[in-house]
Amino acid sequence: MRGSSHLLGAYRPGNSPVHRAPLALKAAAVVILSAGVLAFRALPVLGAAFLLVLGAYAAARLLSESWRPLKLMWPILLLLGVFQAWSNGPAAALLVVGNIVVCVAAARLLTLTTALQDLLDGLVALAGPFRFLGADPERFGLTLALMLRSIPFLLGSAQDVRHSAMARGLERNPRALTVPVVIRAVAYAQQTGDALAARGIGESSGSPDVPKRRQAEGRG
Amino acid sequence: MSTSSAEAAAPSRRERLSRRRWNASDLSLIAVFAALVASFSLLPGVPLGSGVPITLQTLAVMLAGIILGPSRGAAAVALFLAAGLAGLPVFSGFSGGLGVLAGPSAGYLLAFVPAAFVVGLLSRIVLRRARRARFPLLFVSAMAASFLCVHPLGIAGLMLNAKLEFPAALAADIAFWPGDVLKNLLAAAVGVSVFTAFPRLAAKGR
Repeated sequence: MRGSSHLLGAYRPGNSPVHRAPLALKAAAVVILSAGVLAFRALPVLGAAFLLVLGAYAAARLLSESWRPLKLMWPILLLLGVFQAWSNGPAAALLVVGNIVVCVAAARLLTLTTALQDLLDGLVALAGPFRFLGADPERFGLTLALMLRSIPFLLGSAQDVRHSAMARGLERNPRALTVPVVIRAVAYAQQTGDALAARGIGESSGSPDVPKRRQAEGRG
Repeated sequence: MSTSSAEAAAPSRRERLSRRRWNASDLSLIAVFAALVASFSLLPGVPLGSGVPITLQTLAVMLAGIILGPSRGAAAVALFLAAGLAGLPVFSGFSGGLGVLAGPSAGYLLAFVPAAFVVGLLSRIVLRRARRARFPLLFVSAMAASFLCVHPLGIAGLMLNAKLEFPAALAADIAFWPGDVLKNLLAAAVGVSVFTAFPRLAAKGR
């Protein structure tokens, strides 16, 4: 596994109008375009959306990136297109496959032109309006940050476990490959939780139950 | 403070979602299991006896429900989903972003949240009632969640996004059944091991 570098996302830094547009505007554009394409399901709408997305890629100077999602998706799209052409005709096939491609390409342009930190801040800001339902953007942001921090640890842990299973000739045993990873994950989560609680981070205000140390639990 | 209707509605919903507010250990477990779902989506599949590798994404989803219980488990999976939809490359194949919602597999991804909730609910009943035979009962819980949530919503996604008729969507879905059975067997086995290592997790009603 390549450490945590892949978690930096697909961001391509730039200074185009698309890069500088506010995230809320870009997200709204992606949602409206996708909803429009999926609601109308008509070839002229699809064609217009296709040109619009291509134009936006050109404006962001990322035209060479626009076909990139196809590289990952082409087997399933081909299968789907052939099946649809056979059962519902070529127009239906073009519509189904084209809609998926346009929506995926539009959403990808958003990720390509927005720094990861801005995306995460935007996600946390989305929780704000739900405050009256009990949502807490601060605790949500903390949990999101903890999740991101845990991914490299878990990937590394999975690799260690795979190596030690191999050394014991158990590399084809699914239990030997997964049980230690999950047990380490739970122990890691409990340590992190204790560390947070000890610093008074992440506790809901007025919560009466202070978590007890969980040293006695576990294997030790 | 409780005069406005919004404020009055808040505690009931909060209670329904988590009974009590989550403390730091709960948040930490939710974050780590969201990361576990992400890691198992990114890792190459585990080769089975037959040599066909299976991805472990749904395994991690089921484990979140089994180990954390319904509300924390569903929250962990929802956090994974939210991070992926926001553009973090945590879905299989290092992809992410809103685009997956238009793809053929959107139904499966969205079904993970209710699936974690259902398997969590059923496994809490199992853990409270049964001291023995936890492995088969946890396996049945996971299978119930698969067939109540993952497959119906997955088929619905195929019908909506890929415009497949029901028989074709069902045929595409059946291809996942053998792998699902194996992954749910593994989820039950891992669950039993984790509850042996951390008995207090099983005692906690959430």
